[in-house]
Amino acid sequence: MKPFLYAALAGYVIAATHAVLSFVNKRRASERLTLYAAAFGFAAHTGSIIFDWARDGHYPLFSTTDALSFLAWTLVVAYFLVTFRYPLRALGAFLLPAVALVVLGSQLVSPDPGKVPSSVTGGSGSWLFPVHVTLLLFGYASFFVAFAASVMYLWQERELRLKKFSAVFHRLPSLTTVDDVASTAASVGFTLLTLGIVTGVIWSRARSVRMFHNDPTEFFALLTWVVYLALLHFRVQWRGRKAAWLGVGGFTLVLCTFAGAIALGGFHVFR
Amino acid sequence: MSIFLVGLNHKTAPVEVRERLAFSDAACGESLRALVDGELVREGLIVSTCNRVEVLAASAGPQAPDAVGRLSDFLSRVRSVPVELFSGHLYTHADEAAVRHVFRVASSLDSMVVGEPQVLGQVRHAYSLAVEAGTAGRVLHKLVHHALRVAKRVRTETGIAASAVSVSYTAVELGRKIFGSLKGATVLLVGAGEMAELAAQHLAGAGASRLLVTNRTYETAQRLALAFGGEALEFPALEEALAQADVVICSTGARDFLITPEMAERARAARRNRPAFYIDISVPRNVDPAVAKIGNLFVFDVDDLEAVVASNLREREREAERAELIVEAEVTQFQQALRDLDIGPTVGALKEKLQRIARDEFERQRARLGPLTPEQERAIEALLMSTVNKISHPVIHRMRRSYDAGEEGEVQAWRDVFGLEERGGDR
Repeated sequence: MKPFLYAALAGYVIAATHAVLSFVNKRRASERLTLYAAAFGFAAHTGSIIFDWARDGHYPLFSTTDALSFLAWTLVVAYFLVTFRYPLRALGAFLLPAVALVVLGSQLVSPDPGKVPSSVTGGSGSWLFPVHVTLLLFGYASFFVAFAASVMYLWQERELRLKKFSAVFHRLPSLTTVDDVASTAASVGFTLLTLGIVTGVIWSRARSVRMFHNDPTEFFALLTWVVYLALLHFRVQWRGRKAAWLGVGGFTLVLCTFAGAIALGGFHVFR
Repeated sequence: MSIFLVGLNHKTAPVEVRERLAFSDAACGESLRALVDGELVREGLIVSTCNRVEVLAASAGPQAPDAVGRLSDFLSRVRSVPVELFSGHLYTHADEAAVRHVFRVASSLDSMVVGEPQVLGQVRHAYSLAVEAGTAGRVLHKLVHHALRVAKRVRTETGIAASAVSVSYTAVELGRKIFGSLKGATVLLVGAGEMAELAAQHLAGAGASRLLVTNRTYETAQRLALAFGGEALEFPALEEALAQADVVICSTGARDFLITPEMAERARAARRNRPAFYIDISVPRNVDPAVAKIGNLFVFDVDDLEAVVASNLREREREAERAELIVEAEVTQFQQALRDLDIGPTVGALKEKLQRIARDEFERQRARLGPLTPEQERAIEALLMSTVNKISHPVIHRMRRSYDAGEEGEVQAWRDVFGLEERGGDR
């Protein structure tokens, strides 16, 4: 449903603008407006996804447009979960502009393909595919949160070392908080990624016996999985700066995975 | 109606002058009642703190020049201080300037340390004294409430009070930046000294729950531990203590580094990489600067802390500029509200009266007009109202002008011409 999605986009743009404004200017009024606009955008977005589902008769996750839009939706879910749990309003200044851009991007990529190949929607184990994609997109959203928190960590750590503080420094939450958020988000993301990969492999086997198709997405997904595994395994020794750098690096790989699906072609593209 | 203010503060007057003019709470009420005569001065309020003595008054007319003279005479009389002694230190503000001054004082823009929080409470206290003495009327009610609102806006919308401006409090602030909350944190005090003790006290105030104290002479450590409710440790136990401490405050007279990178590294490993914050207040320094290169350890020496204080002060100055913009906007708003406070009801009554006359006349002639369509009825109504408005507009304009110029007699004359009762007058 386009009108719903456009309404959502408008809400996100307003929310993003005010999140950045309140980050730079410390305005309470902007903070409230950010929350309301994001909530409105989220409601409209949810409506749009439900309508699409009802219209197409299948889970709306088969085209790039759908996947991007759903990714934005998971990011907003992550935003609400994090800000509800942690004093991390500053996250909005990083995350909401990304959400607005992703929704916008979803409308700019090639239009809906119309028909989805029956090889994807049908066949044995077809229920696994939506599970696979949903898990992964939520995983990517978690990694984005870990990435944003890591950037906040590195930014502040640098200023603490140089002993020169910018105005932004005072708007960011404490090192312990962002470190905490980054590690929680990374472990949640890792769990989802693992489950996503497993369901993908099972689904692929059920459909075509082959477990892997050697396409870029699979390659990057496995690499990402290894990096986050290392991050979580060495969590204790690497607390702080090193962990933050890994959070940034891991997210770069996530971007490659996602870009791989869209740009590099291969099995993971259904267009 | 006009507002005027006479006062002196830490910038214009030395403490010898300020202390002679300062009011106690009791003297304040008494003097206020003496100040307000119901003629020239209708309302009054006195703000008296260690940094300022200010008398704020509202009068019926625009007699600011004599009023100002009156206020300084009043100060001289009630405090028994000759005028010559303080007149050179006085500043006087009338109307808009007085409103601006009150807003700036309440927002702590006029304070010695810009952004300090006490002054707001002092203004509130001064107001409650005036209310008790019965010398705060509708103008001062409005002014003070508006000033409190401005102060709140300045606090929440600018970073004027966001950062610490003392070395010991800066240590707490940085600790919060690193640990989030200092609740449950362990603080290790190495050596004694005024600044170190102050910092430890601030940290305890911020929630740090455990204090370890060590010193070359164990007795000193014991004395400090007793004073702050901490645990005294023998000096050789320093390294073990490092492994437990989140915040380490060093201030000893040692000539060399007490905490070497090797010690800090071992402590970090024992702490499983949890961050630690080293505050080195000693000169010469006690913490090897190489410690700062280790990850998750943050070292600040005295110069660093002082640099942070200086930058925080600059930040406050910058934020103060934004605060001035807020004050300016609010002054304009208040002036408008004040104008409406007085002339508003008169204008309303005038319009209402003329419109009522027009409607009554229409009703009386209604029967002769025969049946009318709703459109015609609306057209007549519109015709009447626009005629009334066109006639009353220049009158209202003149009334506002007279009012703005403070010509109350003129305003009253207009009221008399139209037979309007004065409503919402002085309570």
